Amino acid sequence: MRFYEWLLRAYPAWFRDRYADAMRGTFAHEYAEYSATSAARRANFWFFTTLHALCFGTLERFPKGPVMRSFFAFDLRDAVRSLKATPVITSVALLSLALGIGANTALFSILNGLVLKPLPVKAPDELVLINDGSWTNPIWEALRARVPGRFAGAFAWSTSSWDLATAGKSDPVEGIMASAGVFDTLGVAPALGRGFVPDDDKRGMGPDGPVAVISHRLWESRYASDPLVLGRSISLNRKLFTIIGVMPAGFTGPDVGRVADVIVPIAAAETFDGKEAGLDERSRWWLEIMLRRAPGQSAEQATAILNDLRPVIRAETTPRDWKADDQASYLKDPFTVIDGATGQSSLRDRFAQPITIILVVVGAVLLIACANIANLLLARATARRHEMSVRLALGASRLVLARQLIAESAIIAIAGAALGLVLAQFGSALLIQQLASSAGRVTLDTAIDWRVLGFTSGVAFLTTMLFGLAPAFGVAGVQPQDALKEQSRSVTGDRRMGIRNVLVVAQVALSLTLVVAAGLFVRSFATLATTPLGFDPKSMLIVDVNTGQTQTPIEQRAQLYERVREAVASVPGVRSASASFMTPLSGSGWNGKAEVVGGPKLTMPQAMIWLNAVTPGCFETYGLQLRAGRDLSSSDLAGREQVVVVNETFVKRFVGNQNPIGAQLITDGPGGPTPFTIVGVVSDAVYRNARSGVYASAFVPVPQAERLLARFPVTASLTTSRGAVERGIGDALMAIDPMISFNFRDLSDQVRASLAQERLVALLSGFFGVLALLLAALGLYGVTSYSVSRRRNEIAVRMALGANAGRVVAMVIRGVTLLVASGVVVGLGITLWASKFAGKLLFGLTPTDPMTFVAAALVLLVAGILAGWLPARRAARLDPTTTLRD
Amino acid sequence: MDMLHTLKPAAFHILLALAEHDSHGYAVMQTVRQQSGGRIPLQTGSFYRHLSKLIDDGLVVEAPGPKGDDDPRRGTYYRLTAKGRQALLAERSRLTDLVEHMSRIKLTGKKSDA
Repeated sequence: MRFYEWLLRAYPAWFRDRYADAMRGTFAHEYAEYSATSAARRANFWFFTTLHALCFGTLERFPKGPVMRSFFAFDLRDAVRSLKATPVITSVALLSLALGIGANTALFSILNGLVLKPLPVKAPDELVLINDGSWTNPIWEALRARVPGRFAGAFAWSTSSWDLATAGKSDPVEGIMASAGVFDTLGVAPALGRGFVPDDDKRGMGPDGPVAVISHRLWESRYASDPLVLGRSISLNRKLFTIIGVMPAGFTGPDVGRVADVIVPIAAAETFDGKEAGLDERSRWWLEIMLRRAPGQSAEQATAILNDLRPVIRAETTPRDWKADDQASYLKDPFTVIDGATGQSSLRDRFAQPITIILVVVGAVLLIACANIANLLLARATARRHEMSVRLALGASRLVLARQLIAESAIIAIAGAALGLVLAQFGSALLIQQLASSAGRVTLDTAIDWRVLGFTSGVAFLTTMLFGLAPAFGVAGVQPQDALKEQSRSVTGDRRMGIRNVLVVAQVALSLTLVVAAGLFVRSFATLATTPLGFDPKSMLIVDVNTGQTQTPIEQRAQLYERVREAVASVPGVRSASASFMTPLSGSGWNGKAEVVGGPKLTMPQAMIWLNAVTPGCFETYGLQLRAGRDLSSSDLAGREQVVVVNETFVKRFVGNQNPIGAQLITDGPGGPTPFTIVGVVSDAVYRNARSGVYASAFVPVPQAERLLARFPVTASLTTSRGAVERGIGDALMAIDPMISFNFRDLSDQVRASLAQERLVALLSGFFGVLALLLAALGLYGVTSYSVSRRRNEIAVRMALGANAGRVVAMVIRGVTLLVASGVVVGLGITLWASKFAGKLLFGLTPTDPMTFVAAALVLLVAGILAGWLPARRAARLDPTTTLRD
Repeated sequence: MDMLHTLKPAAFHILLALAEHDSHGYAVMQTVRQQSGGRIPLQTGSFYRHLSKLIDDGLVVEAPGPKGDDDPRRGTYYRLTAKGRQALLAERSRLTDLVEHMSRIKLTGKKSDA
């Protein structure tokens, strides 16, 4: 329906005023009717809906005078008729254009939603983010006190997710914790109720207790848009919050690609986590800060004001337990602001570059499609030279002929754009699904807005001009007396052949670039996807456990970890289970500087190790091999000797050839650098993702780890299906404490998600590489069959004089090969230059990987020769006598 | 009268659909589809194009909907004007004339066949 709203804008205002309401009504009926039918009929329905709106909407804008009427009545009608007369050319042209425009629009919509589109708030241009990630709550509080008079507003926020369920399995909801100024600063007025007042964000909560504002979407889906929702309570992680407001529709929070369904004040962090919330911790970096500049204030001035405040703010918030030189650099660290109009997005950081690269790729596809269309229409124009010269001879002006050709191109462009818009709608939904597989739920506003509209109509217009003018130039070369000559008797070369050959060479060159890109990306992905992880993610289930609402004191958390682990392990169908701080490839990490007493002296990045805290049996669960020493055991408790198990990469780098068992590893432990005794060595496994590979890692026993969090994952290796154990695990956890909430994930999904970016690029570049190849082959086929048909007489003469079929085929193929070869040479040059932009996304090969280049060139040559062989064979089957008699 | 002879098939069917009683857009579209056996493939866009022309030419006007109809999707109701009725009548007599004429030709055609 949103799409239809947009389509209605094609109509002039007066028309909309009179009919838009009624049209919406009938459209809603039709939509309901068609949504129950087959996909093909639905696509057809959308195509005509789009086409009608664009065509009729445009037509209503023209005055209904006689001149316009003659143009639309006759030129357009003639154009439609003549396009219908050559259905193959018309449909191939339409399809190329639709694919080109559709792909461009789909990707541009996403890029737009992700990168360009400003937040739906008041004057988004005035918003700035304080740069470089996260800030501590003490810094925020120090800044907050100084905002009035300096900035028009400020707020801090952090993303979070909670459990809406009051017992048992989680019902997760995404949201943010934000300071009281969030709504005022953004200039967003609640649709219902009120936003936050400073009292709501007071430690220990204001007079209203814990409060929450919910999204319009949640209000609709969970509360059926009930206006009496205000004052009702909502359970978040088993804590009750009072709903005080509903956000306006369309406002999804300051993060792009992520919907905040619930907003609670920052102070509510203590409602959830008590002392552990860390609101006063000076080295807990978890908040983003957004400022609204005062009227007339520039970004530079804002930065300057912040840095005037810096000495005070920094001095008030210096982490006292830091080393002296760390404290010194903390004090000096400047603040800078960056543009905040488009909000904040981790999704953007990950996908903006790949999507931009793919956008370049589809841009090239569009160019190839345009070349194809120009070629097809040129062929058509040439074939119609006779018709044109007859009409000229009968007195038609060149203007009339050119007008008709332009009308034809315009129809193809508009119809292609309409079909493309439909494709784009489906395409971008599909793409967002792909993105969603990696980042949980993704909600992007990719509704077509004026930027996308400008972009697509620009592309459509450019295309129209490109190939609308090509045949029009062809017309200019036609002489009336040509009508009198017998057609297709010429043996001499044709000037238009020159243009067409250039177009084909360009097409082949661009296609080569895309095929090489596809090769590089697909091979990178294949390498990554087949990189051994060190464990087998199949039939491994992750149980995310949250014990935050149980009454267990922090000191007894290690025992709780063990009890939860035992409970999961005892469920029938679970082979073994282990609790840990984090699971591999989850995106989280814990690292630190390490050194082994008596080992080689290493400096940073080399001296960095990655840690995890695990329960005994973790290696067995993951199938890691114990290479030396022992596993962690249940007697490795707090207060005993600090022990650690390391992996083989660690041993290679930090210990060398000596016996690692018994060596002292020194890294930051609870309360400063602590020695750990290495008691075992396990086989390597990937820690973060396949691209970063195996890290030097160390595993400490859970009871000896610092700060056990209330949320932790338990990994279970299953002997049966996930469905068969979920219930048992849930019951076992509830038996420990009914306040425990939990959720399930497949480890293999997590592994898949870690490659989402590469998968997306490989998928799209592969698809468009094949498409480009197909389009280039079509173009070659078109040019060759056209030139063969032009040379029928010549070929017939040659055959009459004794040339056999083989020689004819060879002659045609020679021509094609020459074209393809020149295209490949030009393409290699372009590709070598372009490949340097792909470097960062590749893995395991260089951007100029010779094998990929050679393979791509060969693929194009083979495809080209195949495309030329069909018309060549046809030429060889000519019967010289009949041909020459014609 | 000139205009009446150039009544397009779609416009004719819309007038016909409105001849018996006032109706809203979607109902008119449905009736046209049934009347023409699907040969006039009207969709929202094309329907309102024809309708706006008929309104501009004064053959159809907007009408108040019947009381108690609160489905907002129905939208505006439309009514045939006297001029629209005239146009339909003229079209009918033109078609009747045509059919009569044709049946005469058809008869002679059969005779010469036999």
